[in-house]
Amino acid sequence: MKKRFIVNPSTCTGCRNCELACAFVHAENGKLGKSRIYPIDGGFKDLWVPVACLQCDDAACVKSCLVNALKRNPETGAIELNHDICVNCKACVAACPFGCSLIDEQHELIVKCDLCGGDPACVLFCPTKALQYKPIDNKTNKIAV
Amino acid sequence: MINITINGRIVQAEEGEYLLSVLKREKIDVPALCHHDAVEPYGGCRLCTVEITKKEWNGWSDYVTSCLYPVEKGLIVSTHSTKVNEIRKTILDLYVARHPNSPEIKELAEQYGVFETTFETIADGDNCTLCGICTRICDEMGFHAISLVGRGHGKIVAPPLNEAPPDCTGCLSCALNCPTNFIKFKDEGDYRTIWGKKFELITCSQCGKKTITKEFAQYLSDNRDIPYEYFEICDECHRKQTALEMGKIANWTREEQS
Repeated sequence: MKKRFIVNPSTCTGCRNCELACAFVHAENGKLGKSRIYPIDGGFKDLWVPVACLQCDDAACVKSCLVNALKRNPETGAIELNHDICVNCKACVAACPFGCSLIDEQHELIVKCDLCGGDPACVLFCPTKALQYKPIDNKTNKIAV
Repeated sequence: MINITINGRIVQAEEGEYLLSVLKREKIDVPALCHHDAVEPYGGCRLCTVEITKKEWNGWSDYVTSCLYPVEKGLIVSTHSTKVNEIRKTILDLYVARHPNSPEIKELAEQYGVFETTFETIADGDNCTLCGICTRICDEMGFHAISLVGRGHGKIVAPPLNEAPPDCTGCLSCALNCPTNFIKFKDEGDYRTIWGKKFELITCSQCGKKTITKEFAQYLSDNRDIPYEYFEICDECHRKQTALEMGKIANWTREEQS
């Protein structure tokens, strides 16, 4: 069954557990990875918005990639970046209108959210369920109740 | 799917797939200077040479560059046999003689026990191994700004007529993927210089951070149907903007509920 990553800013407390979980899950060679999710001040009182890749249908990052390193995984629906093909031109970083293609300075890589291959770590660590990963109905494309 | 034997271990592979990608998938460390997954294999550096044989070859074996060899049924591969290591040592010996000032070549050679070259060194030799990764990536991306020029001893990587290349957009893909970090570039203030051409970098209109060059952004918006406004602010400011926009909606629903 298809699943969807759901962000609910109204219950986010800005604890940044998701950021920590993401950095730990993507750690390599004893170094923390770059977090793919950022809870950012939403501009109102007590309002935080966790900003992560929206996995757009007509994604600017996929269009901007000149070597076709970005491809959609049909199983999870996430756009995944193949680091072996990526040539570090940073076109996707500049093109993403939501700022969700990131530069990992420590590992010298371009990174983006790939939904952890179908089991997002941030969802498991969110204490207030502001982040959820729920199955969706195949026919209506809405969240199954 | 077919079965092949690598270093005595049976491994599954797709028929027709290149041997080097199978070796990489199995996490077998085979050196290669001219290989990049973004472009077609080239077989230029010869370091990924492996020994292959088959049962029906009656003890005969062959030495092939694994990046260009499609796997077949019943292939028996050894990646670090004595003969293969000897071949790699000779190649690295020649590389060290040709590029004595390259730390990347030196490190690779030391892994194979080549600490000093047995050939005469070229003291003022540059670090370009002519692997062609830069030119091939440039072609793959559709710019065709640089190419291998000349023959034999005079062969170099250069833009047309050794002038500032008109097709270059300053994306830095050639410099960042060079295995010996030979291609030099400079980011100074608002400008980036590479291949003797000066590019203006885009400055984020909100925080002043430098992103990609104006030429590269223009190329992407012209050829890839991406609005040019997307490139005007940096990724961090884009995220902040997204949070504010989503925050408005979230605040609106919150007020609706209360």
